[in-house]
Amino acid sequence: MLSMKNVSKVYRTDTIETHALREFSLDVEEGEFVSVSGPSGSGKTTFLNIAGLLEDLSSGTYELDGHDVSALDDRQRSRIRNEKIGFIFQSFNLIPELNVFDNVDVPLRYRGFKAAERRRRIEHVIEMIGLASRMRHLPSQLSGGQQQRVAIARALAGEPRFLLADEPTGNLDSQMAGSIMDLLEEINAAGTTIIMVTHEPSLARRAKRNIFVRDGRIGIDDETDLAVAASA
Amino acid sequence: MEFGPVLRAMMHNRSGYVLIALQIAVTMAIMVNAIAIIQERTRLMARPSGIDEDNIFYLSSLVFQPDVDQRVMIDEDLEALRNTPGVVDAISTNSVPLRGGGWSMSLQTEPGAEVDGSGTAIYFVDEHGIDTFGLNLIAGRNFRPEEVVWNDPQSNRWPPAGILTRALAETLFPDEAPADVVGRTVYINQDNPVQILGIIDVMQAPWSGWNGVERSMLVPERREWDYNRYVVRTEPGSRDRLMPQIEEMLATRSQERIVMDMRTMNETRKLSYLDDAALVKILTFITTLLTIITGLGIVGLASFSVSRRTKQIGTRRALGASRPAILRYFMLENFLVSSVGVGGGAILAVALNIWMVEAFDLAPMRWYVVPVAMLALWLVGQLAVAGPARRATLVPPAVATRTV
Amino acid sequence: MFRYYLKLGALSIRTNPILSALMVAAIAIGIGACMTVVTVHYIMSGDPIPNKSEQLFFVQLDSWDAFDPYDDETNEPPDQVTYLDATALLDAAEARRQVVSYRVGRILQPPADGARPFEVSGRATSGDFFAMFDVPFVFGGGWDRASDDNGEQVVVLSRRINDRVFGGEDSVGRRILMNGDSYRVTGVIDDWNPVPKFYDETTGAFNDTEEVFVPFSVAIDKELSGSGNTNCWQPVPDGGWQAFLNSECVWMQMWVELHGETEWQAYMDFLNAYVASQKELGRFPRPVNNRLYNVKEHLAAQNVVEDTVQILLVLAALFLVVCLLNTIGLLLAKVLRRSADISLRRALGASKRAVFAQYVVEAGMIGLAGGIIGVGMTWLGLTGVKGLYAEMEFVKKLVQMDWIMVTTAVCLAIASALGAALYPTWRAVRIHPASELKTL
Repeated sequence: MLSMKNVSKVYRTDTIETHALREFSLDVEEGEFVSVSGPSGSGKTTFLNIAGLLEDLSSGTYELDGHDVSALDDRQRSRIRNEKIGFIFQSFNLIPELNVFDNVDVPLRYRGFKAAERRRRIEHVIEMIGLASRMRHLPSQLSGGQQQRVAIARALAGEPRFLLADEPTGNLDSQMAGSIMDLLEEINAAGTTIIMVTHEPSLARRAKRNIFVRDGRIGIDDETDLAVAASA
Repeated sequence: MEFGPVLRAMMHNRSGYVLIALQIAVTMAIMVNAIAIIQERTRLMARPSGIDEDNIFYLSSLVFQPDVDQRVMIDEDLEALRNTPGVVDAISTNSVPLRGGGWSMSLQTEPGAEVDGSGTAIYFVDEHGIDTFGLNLIAGRNFRPEEVVWNDPQSNRWPPAGILTRALAETLFPDEAPADVVGRTVYINQDNPVQILGIIDVMQAPWSGWNGVERSMLVPERREWDYNRYVVRTEPGSRDRLMPQIEEMLATRSQERIVMDMRTMNETRKLSYLDDAALVKILTFITTLLTIITGLGIVGLASFSVSRRTKQIGTRRALGASRPAILRYFMLENFLVSSVGVGGGAILAVALNIWMVEAFDLAPMRWYVVPVAMLALWLVGQLAVAGPARRATLVPPAVATRTV
Repeated sequence: MFRYYLKLGALSIRTNPILSALMVAAIAIGIGACMTVVTVHYIMSGDPIPNKSEQLFFVQLDSWDAFDPYDDETNEPPDQVTYLDATALLDAAEARRQVVSYRVGRILQPPADGARPFEVSGRATSGDFFAMFDVPFVFGGGWDRASDDNGEQVVVLSRRINDRVFGGEDSVGRRILMNGDSYRVTGVIDDWNPVPKFYDETTGAFNDTEEVFVPFSVAIDKELSGSGNTNCWQPVPDGGWQAFLNSECVWMQMWVELHGETEWQAYMDFLNAYVASQKELGRFPRPVNNRLYNVKEHLAAQNVVEDTVQILLVLAALFLVVCLLNTIGLLLAKVLRRSADISLRRALGASKRAVFAQYVVEAGMIGLAGGIIGVGMTWLGLTGVKGLYAEMEFVKKLVQMDWIMVTTAVCLAIASALGAALYPTWRAVRIHPASELKTL
């Protein structure tokens, strides 16, 4: 499903070269729920950006769904983001001036669906996250947990093959965080592949597979040793 | 506050500042040239016509029946006018200063076809001319009644005497004092001698846009045109009362003519400079509007810059920057942008002025307009940025620790 | 998708009302200032007789002083001709049509009892004038060549005079009294006011057309001197009217009608030959310097567009530049303020092209709004100009807005807004999809 081989990412400024990812290789199978953790600056956000086609890679290959996506142009990348990938962010990133319905509508618009199709999908996902009664509310009228649910609905509306979540519960209290994790597990159980970046060992442990990144490389790819690595 | 850090911070987000600087520069180019034109036109409008404008009006008599004795009619009209209570004096003439239409001839100091002449306006008057126009005779003498001659409309003969304005005398005899010119002879129509009887201080020609507008000559002559212009000078305060009365009097004195085009000198002045006055108003309006727009642009972008940097400002506050320090930061930032703007503006303004002087025959601007405009735009910038900068000082230091 | 962008644009304008209002106002004011001057300039430089402006030519002969050109700067020959040359060229009849005319003032004595005589502006010309300049008639027409040749006292009236004297009735064949002479009416002209008044701009390129037209031969016969400009470079010898007619004074305008380059060249050759023959008689002391301009060239050579208008045009264009710089700055601020939104949309699958389209549509909306309000501003500006020049009747003709100008205003506004949007939109497109997604 997702396959990175020897991916490197170098950020260059006038004076400094920073290696955010070095020879990074990873395969994720359909239906997996992978957590990515690591210390600050380890390269996990870079990994996520590259996985989500938000950034180019400096070298290596990246195959998504059996297609090489490392050298696509902006339009093709935008299309893949739109159709195959769903994003969930730590700070939700809802558009403040759009209501719940219109926020979920954004990726569907770029997908080019007809109005009726969009409405069907939006109503379906909003029902799924349990906010049908808040369809016309603005983000500022919702709690943090509800906002993140809307963001998840927005990610799911296009029926993507996999979800990329960046600290999805980072801005939430533990009770709300728990319910968001429940939702993600439900979504994963329904067949969507999920890759989640988090620094919380307790959340990481709820994923089926744990990856620990350090200095731009995979340190440990195992479910059992994670606790040891995290405490190290 | 040092320039260095402010400047370096600005270089990070150049485009916004470049835009403001450009806007200030173009604003200044327009402002300077508008002010230069306003000054020039105001100066033109302020030139005295040399006559007693407030108490003079004129009207025309147009004979339409053949075989009317013009001489008798004009003499009788003038007698009636001069005897009207409230009238100081009256003449029959061809035109008045600022009217826009008149008679011009060329005068030369030597006779002959190949000699260069100086154009001058001609006013046909009698011995009442100086008194009626309220002119200031500074040398020589007025015409005597016996020197005033009658001529037919097509005549080519000129009386041998004239009274010149000081400017005309100076043009013809550049090296001599006006008083010394009295008695000298000049030539009209290439070889008709005219003796200079007197010099008047100022009397403008009928064309305010002519570059020789100060050059006029009074000629002791009257012509039997069927079109006749009476100029009437009244006692102060009587003009408006006398106008309809005199119009009626002339209209009823003869059925063989029509009386028309009655107008005061004040109206004539207004009409003559209508274009200049309108241009001055338009340019004043444009300049004001432009300054407001540029000011608003600075307010808008400064507000944006403040709201974008709220967190940064909070951090500075948390690190110990005082409110005046924050205020100074934004004022300094604006000062730097304005300086670049007015600097470029000065170059642009001078270039535009050089081009306009060339293309439209304008007078070059005065040098001090540029620094004055620079100061004005600096001030506008500082005033415009004051509001947003004051808002920046109100950002609480606690913003620094907030996450979103 | 276009409708979605419209919706987003509307939303963006609504959520930033002050910033958006500033942009719309800046464009509207810039367009208003610019279009006010452009409208006046457009009318001043308009083609007064579009169907024939390429076929009518203004005759200029350099009959001036040997020692002193008529125009020191340009060496253009006089813009009028002498009576001698006018009649010689009329008699030669080398062009398809040739017309001489000059302005006269007349006193019209209405037939009605008790009606007071009044002054009318008149033009002395030949019968070809009306056909040559496509003058429209309500009643009757011009006079024929026989009337010209026989010096018949005939007259063509303007509609206004016909309304005033004959109550608007068909007055053809009736008589009017001018300066004691009786004239027979041959026709009444419909409203005809070419702007600029190309056939005689010597006393004002935007004056009204004359109110009565009389035969040239009659005017000369009655010794009617011109009420326009008379310029002489040489003293007029004694001898009254006849001496004046034979003088070198220029005081009438001459036009000829020619079709095509060949006819133009032939007529030019004829003019040069004519001047050469006159030189043998001791006239035309200057080198041969004749002109044969068509209507547009003639109006350009006579600078009918006032310098004031040209100066204002330059300043107004710069004014618009300032307004656009202002708009660029504000749009840029708006884009930067919304970089998180752009970044997010990019992440959710919007291509660069989609972001570009979104901001261009928004700028277009602002431009449209600015243009519509700008049309109103232009109208206000023109009303203001009319007010400032209230005492000058002709200015009313220069401050009329037509559909071309309205459309131009709106198009210019939209084009300006799109132009102003280019840089900010480019910046928007360059915003990286990942750059603003992490707020920490």
